[in-house]
Order: sequence, then C-alpha cells, then structure tokens
Amino acid sequence: MKLKENFVLRQVAQNWVVLPIGEAALDFTGMLSLNDAGAMLWKVLEQDPDPRALVAALTAEYDVSQQQAQEDVEAFLQKLMSAGCLERE
Amino acid sequence: MLCEIADLIADVPAAGGLASRCQSYIRENAGQPNIVIREALYRGERYPNVSPELVAYMESAYQFYKELVRFGGFYLHASAVVLDGKAYLFSGFPGAGKSTHTRHWQEEFGEDAALIINDDKPALRRIDGVWYAYGTPWCGKSGINANQKAPVAGVCFLVKAKHNKIRRLNVFEAMQRVMSQTIYKFQSADTLDRMLSHLERFLQEIPVYEMENLPDADAVRLSHSTMSRESGENVL
Repeated sequence: MKLKENFVLRQVAQNWVVLPIGEAALDFTGMLSLNDAGAMLWKVLEQDPDPRALVAALTAEYDVSQQQAQEDVEAFLQKLMSAGCLERE
Repeated sequence: MLCEIADLIADVPAAGGLASRCQSYIRENAGQPNIVIREALYRGERYPNVSPELVAYMESAYQFYKELVRFGGFYLHASAVVLDGKAYLFSGFPGAGKSTHTRHWQEEFGEDAALIINDDKPALRRIDGVWYAYGTPWCGKSGINANQKAPVAGVCFLVKAKHNKIRRLNVFEAMQRVMSQTIYKFQSADTLDRMLSHLERFLQEIPVYEMENLPDADAVRLSHSTMSRESGENVL
C-alpha cells in the first residue's frame, strides 16, 4: 500500500493534519488529524511504502517494543485506509 | 457587472439572478477588478436537477471565496449579527439553528440594533491587524444581508440541546469546527497554505465557543454576555 498523490501533511495551530489538494479534494471528506508519531510515520511513508520501514522508524524514535510498534503501524495504516489516503501499488 | 464586496472589486456575471442579489454591491466604474468570476467556469454538471439560478449562486460563491484566500480572507458558514459595532458569528452544521439564534438576537435587542449582515456565508478578512466580518451577496436562502463590515467579536458553534451551556474551545477543537464549515479543498498546495495561515491566525486572535442551546432568549443572553465580555488571545 502506498500514499495516494495529492495528500499533504500540514501543521495548523500546533496540530498535524492531512489535507487533500487537486482531484483528491473532490471526494475526500473531513480532515485527518495525526499526533506527532503519526506525522513521523506519514513522512516515512512518503519515502518508503514498506510497512517494515514504518515499524523500524517507530522503534528507533520511540521507546516501544517490536510487537507494539507493529500493532501501532497497523492501526495507523488502517486509519489512513479508512480516510481514503492509501492505494494498492 | 462590477461590485465592491468585502472591500474588493469583483466582476460578477449578472446572469442567474445575481444582478438582483448584488444590487447593493454594484459599483460602476470601480476600476480594475481584484476578482473576476467567470460564468464559463460554472460547474453545472456537479448539480443535477438544480435550477440554473442556484448553480449560478453556488458557483459564483465558490469562485469568489476561493479567490478571497489571495486577499487575506476566507468564509465561514455562519449567520453573522452586528451589535454595538461588533460582529458575532454563529456557525454549525445545517439545522444547528444558526439563523434561528440570530433572529432571537433581533428579538432580544431590537431589529435596528442587531443587524444580520450575512445569514449564511460571511466573508472574513484581516485588515491592518483586525478581523472583519462582511456582508456579501452570498447569504443563503433567506437572502438576508447588508453591505457592511464589523470587527469580529467571536465565533460560536451551535449544538441543539435541552439546556443552555457555553464553553470556550481550545485551538484544536476550534480548528476542527472552523474547517468543517469553510472550504479548504483547493487545486494547489499554494492556495491551501495561504488558507491555513489565515486560519491559524484567526484561531490565535479570535475566541471560538461552542454552545449547547435551546432556541430561546436565555441562550441569546448567554451567548451575548459571554462573547461580548471576552476577547483577545485564544486559550491553548
């Protein structure tokens, strides 16, 4: 799974949000909020669609077990999927 | 036809009933327009079974408010009432009771004292450090608007309830609610970033509330006393 084009991560009033531009804006409803860890994962995902890269980034940056990181990454990807930000490669 | 709307010169197509909606905004010989609304760009195909008048209304609003972002502003889906020289904006989802609440302000304070300058989409612009709310021709079904501006006292999001209770929102809550009642979907990242910087500034400078309320005079006294008392930096 990789990020669809035309979604951008922005910080507004100290909060991370994912917003659509261009064509993506037409059928995207609502606004996706991310915490700091989510924003970090988003930035990694922009570079590398491999979930293992996300788990590695999470364990490197935060004090979490491999198991916990895998679950967090899964939840993160699920959130993006529900928001319509992901597409199959 | 040239109009002066939100202190900007806009060239608005007269078709689709806009000539009459814009009557009090028309400024012949106003000079070069800041904003040109193009009838050729109306996206009629987006609105099946909608009258040409409504398409013209919605699409001219869309073009105007999209361009407004270039001039330090944006719109909020709200009913805006001016009292004692300050604008009070009541926002919320359709059916939240925005217009009902500002009508009740008029009943409470008198129709001459409490003037509804825009019943649906007031323009907001920051000029010389002050946020102004403006009447515009895009004011919803009621058609209620006045070609006036006033400094914004605050924004209150309305939620129907069986009691009256108001609270100040933190910046994050305020951001989510304001974004749900404006446009932030643009073709370019550049326009989006301009919009976000206006929004960020607005949230820093204008108090935003949420009021659970009944459609009654007590709710009016509560929103008025709270919003006219407080101002300045928003709470984090």
